[in-house]
Amino acid sequence: MKKSKFSLLLVLTLVFSLFLSACSGSKDTSGDKEKGESASNVKQEIKMLDTSEIPTMDTSLAEGSTSFTYIANVGEGLYRLNKDHKPAPALADGKPKISEDKKVFTFKLREAKWSNGDPVTAEDFVFAWQRAIDPNTASPYGPYMMNGKIKGANEITEAGAANKEYDLNTLGIKALDEKTLEVTLEQPFVYWEDLFAFPTFYPQNKKFVEEKGKAYASNAGNLLYNGPFKLTKWEGTAATDWVLEKNEDYWDAKNVKLEKISVNVVKDSNSAVNAFEAGETDMTGLLSSDIVPEYEGDDRMVSWLEPTVFWLKMNQQNKALKNVNIRKAIAQGFNKKDLASSILNNGSIPANYFVPKDFVEFDGKDFREKNGDLIKYDVKAAKEAWEKGLKELGVDKLEIRYLGGDTEAAKKTDSYMKNQLEKNLPGLTVKLESVPFSVRLERDNSQDYDLQFAGWGPDYGDAISFTDLWLTGGGSNRMDYSNPKYDELVKKAQTEYATKPKENWEAQQEAEKIMLEDAGVAPVYQRAANILLNPNVKGLAIYNYGPDYGFKWVEVKGE
Amino acid sequence: MAQTETNNQKQRFQPAIIDSSKSEEINKPSLNFWQDAWLRVRKNRAAIASIIIMFIVIFLAFVGPLFSGKQFDTQNVSHNHLPPRIQGLEKISWLPFDGTEVNRAGKEVNVYEKRGIDEYYWFGTDTLGRDIFTRVWKGTQISLYIAFLAAIIDLVVGVSYGAVSGYYGGRLDNIMQRITEVLIGIPTLVIVILMILVLEPGIISIAVALSVTGWVGMARVVRAQVLKVKEQEFVLASRTLGNSHKSIIYKHILPNLAGVIIINTMFSIPNAIFFEAFLSFIGLGLQDPKASLGTLVNEGFKVLRLHPHEMIVPATVISILMVTFNMLADGFRDALDPKMRD
Amino acid sequence: MGKYLAKRFLYMFITLFLIASLTFFLMKIIPGTPFASANKLSPAQMQIMKAKYDLDKPVPVQYVTYIGKMAKGDLGISFQFNNTPVSELMFKRLGPSAQLGFQAVFFGTLVGLVLGVFAALRQNTWVDYGATFLAVLGKSIPNFVFAGLLQYYVGVKLGWLPVLFWKGFEYTIMPTIALSMFPIAISARFMRTEMIDVLGTDYITLAKAKGASFFEIAFKHALRNALIPLVTVLGPLAVSMMTGSLVIEQIFAIPGLGEQFVKAVSVNDYPVIMGTTMLFAFLFVIVILVVDILYGIIDPRIRLSGGSK
Repeated sequence: MKKSKFSLLLVLTLVFSLFLSACSGSKDTSGDKEKGESASNVKQEIKMLDTSEIPTMDTSLAEGSTSFTYIANVGEGLYRLNKDHKPAPALADGKPKISEDKKVFTFKLREAKWSNGDPVTAEDFVFAWQRAIDPNTASPYGPYMMNGKIKGANEITEAGAANKEYDLNTLGIKALDEKTLEVTLEQPFVYWEDLFAFPTFYPQNKKFVEEKGKAYASNAGNLLYNGPFKLTKWEGTAATDWVLEKNEDYWDAKNVKLEKISVNVVKDSNSAVNAFEAGETDMTGLLSSDIVPEYEGDDRMVSWLEPTVFWLKMNQQNKALKNVNIRKAIAQGFNKKDLASSILNNGSIPANYFVPKDFVEFDGKDFREKNGDLIKYDVKAAKEAWEKGLKELGVDKLEIRYLGGDTEAAKKTDSYMKNQLEKNLPGLTVKLESVPFSVRLERDNSQDYDLQFAGWGPDYGDAISFTDLWLTGGGSNRMDYSNPKYDELVKKAQTEYATKPKENWEAQQEAEKIMLEDAGVAPVYQRAANILLNPNVKGLAIYNYGPDYGFKWVEVKGE
Repeated sequence: MAQTETNNQKQRFQPAIIDSSKSEEINKPSLNFWQDAWLRVRKNRAAIASIIIMFIVIFLAFVGPLFSGKQFDTQNVSHNHLPPRIQGLEKISWLPFDGTEVNRAGKEVNVYEKRGIDEYYWFGTDTLGRDIFTRVWKGTQISLYIAFLAAIIDLVVGVSYGAVSGYYGGRLDNIMQRITEVLIGIPTLVIVILMILVLEPGIISIAVALSVTGWVGMARVVRAQVLKVKEQEFVLASRTLGNSHKSIIYKHILPNLAGVIIINTMFSIPNAIFFEAFLSFIGLGLQDPKASLGTLVNEGFKVLRLHPHEMIVPATVISILMVTFNMLADGFRDALDPKMRD
Repeated sequence: MGKYLAKRFLYMFITLFLIASLTFFLMKIIPGTPFASANKLSPAQMQIMKAKYDLDKPVPVQYVTYIGKMAKGDLGISFQFNNTPVSELMFKRLGPSAQLGFQAVFFGTLVGLVLGVFAALRQNTWVDYGATFLAVLGKSIPNFVFAGLLQYYVGVKLGWLPVLFWKGFEYTIMPTIALSMFPIAISARFMRTEMIDVLGTDYITLAKAKGASFFEIAFKHALRNALIPLVTVLGPLAVSMMTGSLVIEQIFAIPGLGEQFVKAVSVNDYPVIMGTTMLFAFLFVIVILVVDILYGIIDPRIRLSGGSK
């Protein structure tokens, strides 16, 4: 009894002295850890970390990239994003037959099996799509992805909202026979392959889903798999660890090398790095930007530029922001380069545009190559525009609210922006409001803001996912930007030029120019992403939209 | 020899003069409550040391920003993430004030020389190139301000609620006790988060949010003490003499509560400082560029491995404040009311 | 006693009902949308989504529906985890949180008692100050800092203990130590005060005169007397610890309630917020009741009768 208490005391003292010594700054460097841990064993297994639980594995209800990532790795649709991040036929046996007006697609399905042995049929697609659009399901992404694209989707949603009768069979998808699927679009568009690779459009086994009822997708046992992997351990949405194993029944199983992926949730970025350093994982989730400089030049860090652009939305319900000169002054009045290189310091680049770099290309040329920098940091021009704007408004100072996020990184950025704007635009007072994401979304919805720091990542690989944001009255506009010329160009790109890539391309480039001449938004930066990855893990596919990663081609190489 | 000694001794003793008028006199100087408390606190050397350190910190909090020659919110991105450097001390290599930082390769580099900066930032700079010395003292001011404000609200609300509840007793007491039970039953975090989300974020709203549940502890202690005191004879006597409730509460009951109130307040100050730090951790802290110790520690924590000074400085200050307040409160408790339990 | 208990149970239910109502209405005034894709939803879709969760009805109707369902034990389904019942989410997370909380309170109390005893036996000496300082220091370092440093130095640098996760006893050691700082401080202070008090009593003088050893006096006589008031504090403390510590859970990647709760608050997942609050409140009132009854049993001076305790 006495002894044990003494030893407890001893332990405690040790802990404290440890803490104190940690504070005194005597540190040896990390990084020179022995490499012996990953000897020469080339088991095809990886351990990885994710930053959140899986909110749902139900393709109809999924709305976030975590869900999409795991759904895409254990399931499969007509198309799949391939190693090179391009959609390629998967369950579809080759390219579909496309009608004259480019609206009707007829797919032949390849022989494939669900993990319970049932064949994957055209009926499974019809069921899943109808389930996703059904107002009873109340899926967020079903209607978002289908409305205006798949025939009849809009009408079903409208009827559902108004509590009227609707018929799911009016949706533009039909099973011609067990292996033939006919999809009818509302209007033609170029990025249809991306759409059919998107997890919302994956098939579901009707019999299984109906049999499980409410329990469907509630854990690993209540799911069916037709992709390269299957979930062998997942206790449901509250679970913080799960296991994916190779699906031997997958039609392309011979090309899948990886046997097992063990995933654990770690939300704190520092903790994730600690786990990586301690050799407990092969791959971390996205690193917070504060950690990135520590691994600069380290071959264990993988970095890439995401097609996610952050900008200041300028709400034109505010009288001052209705003035184009004031908007121009703001859009040119902050140093984006310093922000990207000194404050974010994680590979993000200043954005002088709103359609991101390294996102879409045509004829081998990036969207940015021709359009270049459209609105740059320019103190002189900003000051001139500011003076002019103030004169037009007949005031000599302005107070503007600035709605920003409440994360540490967002607060830093916002603080910098406030400082820059106030310094460069005399007479401007910026009132910062840091709020949680959910509050920001709500205030965006009700347009209760002046300036809002917001970002956008696409759901499919076409510039239209950015240009259609700013259509007059568009669902994501929510800042009263309106320019008939812009509307016309984008509408044309969506309809008339929908199947003419060149004209489509040019119209959208023109539209972007117009929008930024109006200084409709003030682009800030394009985000880079960074993870730590064991260099022995090869072939990880990193995607720009939909799922985050594809593990199908991953292989663990020995040393 | 022996003879003289006895003589001497005899001479030394004299019969005492018995004066009945003086027998009632108290020889020890009469001490009031405060003098008595101070005498006892003084015996506790840790408490004294705490007072001194605490005053130094508070003094620095108000004077520091004045003589640093820098503003707490001036950004200079090209001077960001500088390690501490102090004139004079920079020559002493074992002190962490020489402007060097261990880089990733494990080498010590003088960042100031490398970047060609002549200025001295005593505690270094943060991500936005703001002077940490100035920010830390400014943050200490704000943390203390929030803590004192919260403590005062606790004091006012808690004491009046507890006193009323305990003094009047009966059904009123019963109802009031149920209300506090409800408040304790809801997790503090829920209430505080809700308050902060509903109110405009800022110093006042954080202090108010902290006190929404904070006063309950005070009210409970005060009520218990009132229950004890009000049964005592002097209160009964005062009531018999026809004094009003109000004057009884003010004249007789409250003075007897001083001990518990002081101790409770002394503990609620560090608790408020701490809770504010926790709020910063979950993103509900102050609006930048304002800073509190909590937000500073949290910002520094994020870059701990690359720029340890950014966390160590504010963490040290907050720890010193917390330790001294707690030790002092303990000292007060020993002195004022060794039997008190909260 | 029976009448007393009946009365207490009645109060308990009233308290729980009031807590449920208060939280419900407080939640309704939190700004923010519960839908993560709100910026992508058209008005028609928004309407459909709201109808799914009954959010399109007037608040009083929602209130009555909610209380009615809760009385039947139905806590609703989570927003962020589509279609998952709240009770399922909570009970999966309760285990690790409760274990961690229990271990921390247990370990913390032991260490605190030892520190407290030493401090009291050498009152106003450097031993006393040192022990008090140690006890207070644990409470004075923001716990995310302490936990982060512990993880980095003990886990990564020294490699003594697993860095994170929750897969066995050795995984619980670091989080337990990190979480026990608060109970250490509290029990050390209690023990010290109580010991000083007891050491001045006649029976200790007698025990000393009879030749009882230092430890016998400390642990046999003083400890017993100090435990009673300690129970009243540790009870509620244990509840708040067992229902989860956000910081520790997040840093050590422990699948606990606290982390889930704070996440729910930040994404306005109303059913999860409500469910967790009610679970907490329920445990809390039960513990208070148990503590009161225990107190009455241990200390016969306290009579369990009448409305006030």
